[in-house]
Amino acid sequence: MSGAADSLPSPVNARPRRSAAWLHEPLLVGILLLILAACLVLVGLKPAPYVVNTIGQLAVFAILAVSLDLIWGYLGILSLGHGLFFAIGGYVCAMHLLSHAFSATGVAPDFVQFMGWKTLPAYWAGLTNAPYALFLAMALSGAVAFVFGFASFRSRVNGVYFSIISQALVYVAMLLMFRNDTGLGGNNGMTGFPLLFGYPMGSAAVTTGLALASLGALAAVLVGTRALVAGRIGRRMLACRDDETRLRTLGYGTTRLKLGIWCLSAMIAALAGVLYVPQVGIINPRVLAPDLSIEIAVWVAIGGMGRLGGAVIGAVAVNALKFWLSAAMPEAWPFILSGLVLVVVLALPNGLLDFASLRTKPTWLRNGGGR
Amino acid sequence: MAELPQPVSFLVRGVRVALALILMVSASMAQAAADPIDRSALARAVCSDGAGLARGADDVVRSAATASADDLAFSGSILRALLDRRLACVGDTSVLLDRPGGSEGRDAATGATRSAAGARSPVLGLRQRGLVETGAGVVALLTGASTAQRSAGLATLERRAAAVPEADTILERARAAETDAVLRAAIVQAMQAAALNAPEPARRRAAIGAIADAPSSAARSRLASLRTDPAYAADPAFKAALDAGIARVERAVTIGDGLALSYNALSFASILFMAAVGLAIIFGLMGVINLAQGELIMVGAYAAYGVQEAFRMVAPGLIDLYLVAAIPVAFLASAGVGIVVEALILRHLYRRPLMSLLATWAVSLFLINLVRVVFGSQNLQFGMPSYVSGGVPLYADFIVTWNRLFAIAFAAVTLAATLLILKRTPLGLDIRAVTQNRDMAGALGIRTRRVDRLAFGFGSGLAGLAGVALCPIYSVNPGMGATFIVDSFMVVVLGGVGTVVGTVVAALGIGGANVLIEPFYGAVAAKVIVLVGIIVFLQRRPEGLFVARRRR
Amino acid sequence: MSALLVDKLDVVFGRFRALTALSLAVDAGEVRAVIGPNGAGKTTLLDVISGITKPLRGRVMLGDSLDLAKCSEAGIAKAGVRRKFQKPSVFPALTVYENLDIGCGAGLPASERAARIGAVLGEIGLEPRAHALAGALAHGEKQWLEIGMVLGSNPRIILLDEPVAGLSDAETERTAALIRALRRPDRAIVVIEHDMAFVEAIADRVTVLHEGRTLYEGGMRGARADARVIEVFLGR
Repeated sequence: MSGAADSLPSPVNARPRRSAAWLHEPLLVGILLLILAACLVLVGLKPAPYVVNTIGQLAVFAILAVSLDLIWGYLGILSLGHGLFFAIGGYVCAMHLLSHAFSATGVAPDFVQFMGWKTLPAYWAGLTNAPYALFLAMALSGAVAFVFGFASFRSRVNGVYFSIISQALVYVAMLLMFRNDTGLGGNNGMTGFPLLFGYPMGSAAVTTGLALASLGALAAVLVGTRALVAGRIGRRMLACRDDETRLRTLGYGTTRLKLGIWCLSAMIAALAGVLYVPQVGIINPRVLAPDLSIEIAVWVAIGGMGRLGGAVIGAVAVNALKFWLSAAMPEAWPFILSGLVLVVVLALPNGLLDFASLRTKPTWLRNGGGR
Repeated sequence: MAELPQPVSFLVRGVRVALALILMVSASMAQAAADPIDRSALARAVCSDGAGLARGADDVVRSAATASADDLAFSGSILRALLDRRLACVGDTSVLLDRPGGSEGRDAATGATRSAAGARSPVLGLRQRGLVETGAGVVALLTGASTAQRSAGLATLERRAAAVPEADTILERARAAETDAVLRAAIVQAMQAAALNAPEPARRRAAIGAIADAPSSAARSRLASLRTDPAYAADPAFKAALDAGIARVERAVTIGDGLALSYNALSFASILFMAAVGLAIIFGLMGVINLAQGELIMVGAYAAYGVQEAFRMVAPGLIDLYLVAAIPVAFLASAGVGIVVEALILRHLYRRPLMSLLATWAVSLFLINLVRVVFGSQNLQFGMPSYVSGGVPLYADFIVTWNRLFAIAFAAVTLAATLLILKRTPLGLDIRAVTQNRDMAGALGIRTRRVDRLAFGFGSGLAGLAGVALCPIYSVNPGMGATFIVDSFMVVVLGGVGTVVGTVVAALGIGGANVLIEPFYGAVAAKVIVLVGIIVFLQRRPEGLFVARRRR
Repeated sequence: MSALLVDKLDVVFGRFRALTALSLAVDAGEVRAVIGPNGAGKTTLLDVISGITKPLRGRVMLGDSLDLAKCSEAGIAKAGVRRKFQKPSVFPALTVYENLDIGCGAGLPASERAARIGAVLGEIGLEPRAHALAGALAHGEKQWLEIGMVLGSNPRIILLDEPVAGLSDAETERTAALIRALRRPDRAIVVIEHDMAFVEAIADRVTVLHEGRTLYEGGMRGARADARVIEVFLGR
């Protein structure tokens, strides 16, 4: 083979198609421009606080959807337990906010008083420090993902098996957090966060700041994951999704690849959790309900899996609809959601992207996407 | 009795009347000679002064152990009437009225009708009331028509044991005559309690032995409380007897608790098996995990509820049979829903298992909310037929409850039927063929799509059966499916794809582990341990316990 | 010395014995065809060599010291053993070029990649399709692409499972020429095939498997004359 390589001139343009920057995807560029526009609106027009808050939450959900799309759309691993990593981020953030408030005001959080304790449990130490809290959220979600992923991928648990075991994981975590003796608020969770970095929660500046941070994080996550999936690792991810055994017989350790992306995805989900909690002002074990984790997958499927932009569109569209309908006609929302899922699953294999007729190439999603 | 339907209740009443007659006859034969109650003296005594009344009531109590059933019934009617203020005195003659303040009644002694004009009501002082109540209670215990009356009589007797010198003999007579097992056990307990407090040490020791012979946690605490008794420190024989008795009871209670735990584990495993076996068959055949399986269980339970309501409206006399009639209805209801889901949705998704996961989730969301809108989200009220309520105390605190036995037997029958269908019917052969090699089966002319649909219906119907099996044990509401679904997924993962035997073993393992770990570390820890155990197990056998051979 | 030595392999699936004490020695520079009726264990043999199936007993020695039966799939591939599957297993979501890029393995320096990929494209004759998605290729092109993916890493052992299944006569001829061109003194090629004319055109020796055992080993002409081979394989 080497002899042939020496004698033959390279007959084709050797630059792989996908080495081009993320700018080549119009959908993604459009979304990034929309994010920029939203930032400008927030800063310039100063909309009503609930609008700002809604934009911020939608951005958080979009980040969460991108984290799932990264492993589902590109690696074919459907996690039905991503709520766990979201919750880890959320809980660590809530711990930071509470210990920050405790040190500033001297009033112990409700659940601490409820349990009859004098101070916060020992493992809350240092969480007053925001960078440490962020680090802990990332490290913890990454570590949990690593242990679970290592055990699963090493023994080649995949496909539907992986999905339902990850669901059991989040379910068990929910039961665990419902206990009152965990030191994490138990059934009622944690709420009543008066301050963020010393500023009063709920002030216009803090609300806008949080929304901007969420939009910024979304943009950063999109650009980063796009760079990842467009490169060599992204090609291996697609190869692994479509035929893992084949990829292994070509000399690639797929366990390492899957584990790395899985941990990255978990950490992105945790980042979304960190940004989510100060915006809604509460975290409780219900974010660990299996249904919520499935809903993340539903956003991705509705938006169009295997396209990062699709995940964003799905998360924003479904949640905007949910915000509106669960206020306007709460009885009807579950029916609409289930109908939406069925329509997408049956008629629009690429999700809403089918409507947008932005399908430049990926007809293969029709076959490969559902694995 | 109230909840029993008419014919059964008639029957029970008839038997009871016959028994009472036999008892009365035998009692009067045995004790005709002994201590007759002087009826006319009693009838006069209640209308004399307070002391006379007290003496009359006390006489009833003293002679109750040996008096004939007739005499007891007579005294009982007088004492009851006194308590109900239906007894009037015309001179020193007592008249029984139909209702308090009535104008006419029967002469207590002669039975002749008499006017109650100008009659006075006897005054019951505190002491008299106590004695009259005691007497009425003793009579009720011995001759009461219903279990409730007799057990109320027992309660009175226990409360006033100090005023009843003949308590032992009365209780022994009541025990010998008692037909209800539960009440008889209560009477025995009362006798033991009386003996425990007896003045003679030998009798107390014998009572300890007798209590230890019927071990239960109640017996344990009764004996344990005797450690503070002065005799425990003073009398070495008493101490030895008590310590030995407690040790014996404790051992038996431990064994009984173990049995009860295993029994609960077995019944939970049975429910889990029924919830999971349909899932396993469908998963083996089509690679589809049906997230709506829990809701198919709910459909089965609601179908059972519908059958109950239909019986209540159309044939209230046969309502005890509704649970049996619900079995085919629930199967067909869930199977019907399953087949519709398959035909409308899953048929299009066979090559995309993860999408079918989401689609079945949407179906479950839809079903939950549909049921919530139609029936509301409260728990359904099931009337429990006699064959699934109560149970038989078997050993110590271990009671074989009928509802759990129903679930276990139901699961066993389902297992047998499933195996029979899979191994002995043409459909079963087709299902096994398609499970093992879909393309080959198709090439042999098996209509794989039709097999898929029937198998999906069959698996869904099995979930419906699980719904019937669990409605006597668990609460039934729109969200009930979620309780079982994660556990039954774990059963499928652990058991292996599409094997019924694997499902049985895994259900026993997971159900057993959950129930057995729970009392020691709590329900949450049990779930954590089971999940970790499964993940560790999959390290060694990623395809589950029983692996079907497949070709790449 | 043998390039690849299969030593007394036993493979069991449940109660089914797929391979029984199977031994096989393939020399460097040789093209070995493995033939046999369906269910003879041919694909199972390749599965064991490439690490997808673990044997109950036995060794698969690459050179003197490396027992492939104890290695992971990726480890076996890195040791220079590459395989083409029976069903064309190209990555449909990637282009032909990207498929070959992945086939080159992770270790090849970026500077050599383009030249290597270009050379392979030439060998398999898919230059015009370099930037087409592999999922859009015709069946024959997929077969060649898969052979190309195997070639990218310059392997010592090449395992080809039915490389001409479903190909036209012209395509089969082209594939035979391609395989003959792959022969090198330091490389062993194992081919599983049903097409006897094709086997005769490429193989130095054949091994006939039947029910998990070796029935015959030697030249193709000898196989045609062997009574037992005729009985089980040709069904007479």
